[in-house]
Amino acid sequence: MSAPKFAAEKLLWEMLGRWKRSTPELDRIQFLKTVPFFDRLSNRQLKSVSDIMFERTYDVDESIFEEGQPGAVLFLILEGKVAIEMRRETSTTRLAALEKGAFFGEMALIDDTPRSANARALEPTRTLALYRNDLNELVHRDAKTACQIYRSLAGTIADRLRLTNELVQTRTPADTALLA
Amino acid sequence: MSNGKDFEEKERERKIRRRAFYLTFTSALLVLGGFLIWKLSGLILPIIVGALLAFVFRPVKERFRIRWLPHELQVLCSFAAIGLVLFFAFNTLRKHIPDEKQKLEFKVRLKYKLNEKYLQLVTKSPEGKSNTLAPLIEKQLGPLMDKVNQALTLNPEERDLFLKYAAGYNGKPPIENKFVQYFWANRKTGKYVIPERPPADGASHTTPAAPAPSQPSAEEGESLESKLSAWMLAPLIFIFLGFDNGQIRRFFIGLVPNRYFELSLTVLDRLDDAIGRYLRGTLTECFLVGLTLILGLILLGIPAGIAVAIGVVSGLLNAIPFVGTIIALVIGVGYALIAENIRPLIPGLNPNDLALYVVILVVITHVIDDVVFQPLVLGSAVNVHPLVVVIAIIGGSLMMGLWGMLFAIPAVVVVKTIVATFFKELKAYRII
Repeated sequence: MSAPKFAAEKLLWEMLGRWKRSTPELDRIQFLKTVPFFDRLSNRQLKSVSDIMFERTYDVDESIFEEGQPGAVLFLILEGKVAIEMRRETSTTRLAALEKGAFFGEMALIDDTPRSANARALEPTRTLALYRNDLNELVHRDAKTACQIYRSLAGTIADRLRLTNELVQTRTPADTALLA
Repeated sequence: MSNGKDFEEKERERKIRRRAFYLTFTSALLVLGGFLIWKLSGLILPIIVGALLAFVFRPVKERFRIRWLPHELQVLCSFAAIGLVLFFAFNTLRKHIPDEKQKLEFKVRLKYKLNEKYLQLVTKSPEGKSNTLAPLIEKQLGPLMDKVNQALTLNPEERDLFLKYAAGYNGKPPIENKFVQYFWANRKTGKYVIPERPPADGASHTTPAAPAPSQPSAEEGESLESKLSAWMLAPLIFIFLGFDNGQIRRFFIGLVPNRYFELSLTVLDRLDDAIGRYLRGTLTECFLVGLTLILGLILLGIPAGIAVAIGVVSGLLNAIPFVGTIIALVIGVGYALIAENIRPLIPGLNPNDLALYVVILVVITHVIDDVVFQPLVLGSAVNVHPLVVVIAIIGGSLMMGLWGMLFAIPAVVVVKTIVATFFKELKAYRII
């Protein structure tokens, strides 16, 4: 970036932007800063991500998405608690209980393959939702920001793959028999 | 335990209340919406035009986005750029719009040339060979020619003005002598079809009183004023939607219940994509058709200014399937009939057959449009059956005239996309 552009961005527009922003918007940016998924982004980049996010509120026990539905959105928990569950014919297995700052449904940012589990609010929950096609459009508008988000996404998927590999390697013959 | 049951009971009641509220609210909203659409029907068209313009403008805005400039400033810069382009376009176009003298000259030339061509068709050839088709042509075209002649005849005021211009008036050079001769020849043109005499049964026929010359009434003036003020909405809608940075979409998505959140995002996106592809594809197609016509007309020897004017009008009207081609034919042949001193750039062409060449050019352009431009530019954006296209255009024209014809196909595209996407996604999200 050239020096005048840098000066314009860093000094002038950042200052004007801060003055223009409302308190809820600033709160949201402050929150996004704490989420590992977005920790590499600057204030300006967080603002452009915040601009394309939707805030949704869920009641206790309300379903956020269901297994088998096409995924379109990544959810970030702004407030509350969400259970990720897998329902089988006779039982329901809770895979995780996520709290403020956690995110889920990240595979939806890649394609619309069906959701692999259910997500349900355990208490009144506020979430921020990032829609796949909005992120795709961000690639054209602000490639650097979008690239960093995709990098974080790749990192998350790699971590989970590594974890799964470790689980497979540490599986005992008894586990294999149980799964079969 | 009982506390838990109470809570569940309260929650159930709350759910019922919420459902009843949503139902009442939606019904009231639908009734109010219907009432407003009925009462404010005059505003619908300007709103649609403004919104479509903003829709077409959006990719331009996105394409020239400067990351470090605030959104409002970027939109203002884009508007300024569009304003400049429009200003230069209008200035160029104004030079080709005929003034009073040229309009009168055009009418005289058109009437003379049309009658000349008609007489060539219906009279015997100089060798004395009888034209067997002549009576048929006379019977079919005679009444039409009479109507055209009536429309092209100058009224007394126009005649006086033409004679003044013929001698040089208002600082303009005198009209060419040849055209003045056309004017005198036109005055001798009579009717081709003699009206049948009414049966002489002795009964006295009271001829209906001639309608009083139409004068713009106060009501008409008011209606024109209200129409104009309604059309003021179009640029306003365009400007406000131009400034929109996704807030309107976010607002409407915010109203959608959680259950339909992802579904509504997907459907809206597909709809946006389909309309965008159709609009941008149609604009590109219109541009290519206009360009082909301009090049063809220049090759036929028509002056560049006139060729551009005919190409631009025909290209823009090409957005209306079928009708665009017919209008291009009418304008092109109309000019070819009155054109004089034409020297085609293609060797071997006879300038006297210019009208025929224009017909061939329009037909070739139409075929190229169907075979090359549409599949290349529009692709599967408008995968609508031709019968549906015809019915939609006729229906549109019956409901809203020319505008209805113009918006018939986009409306069909929208309905088709909504129906196709909505049902597919409703099933995918296990709602139905």
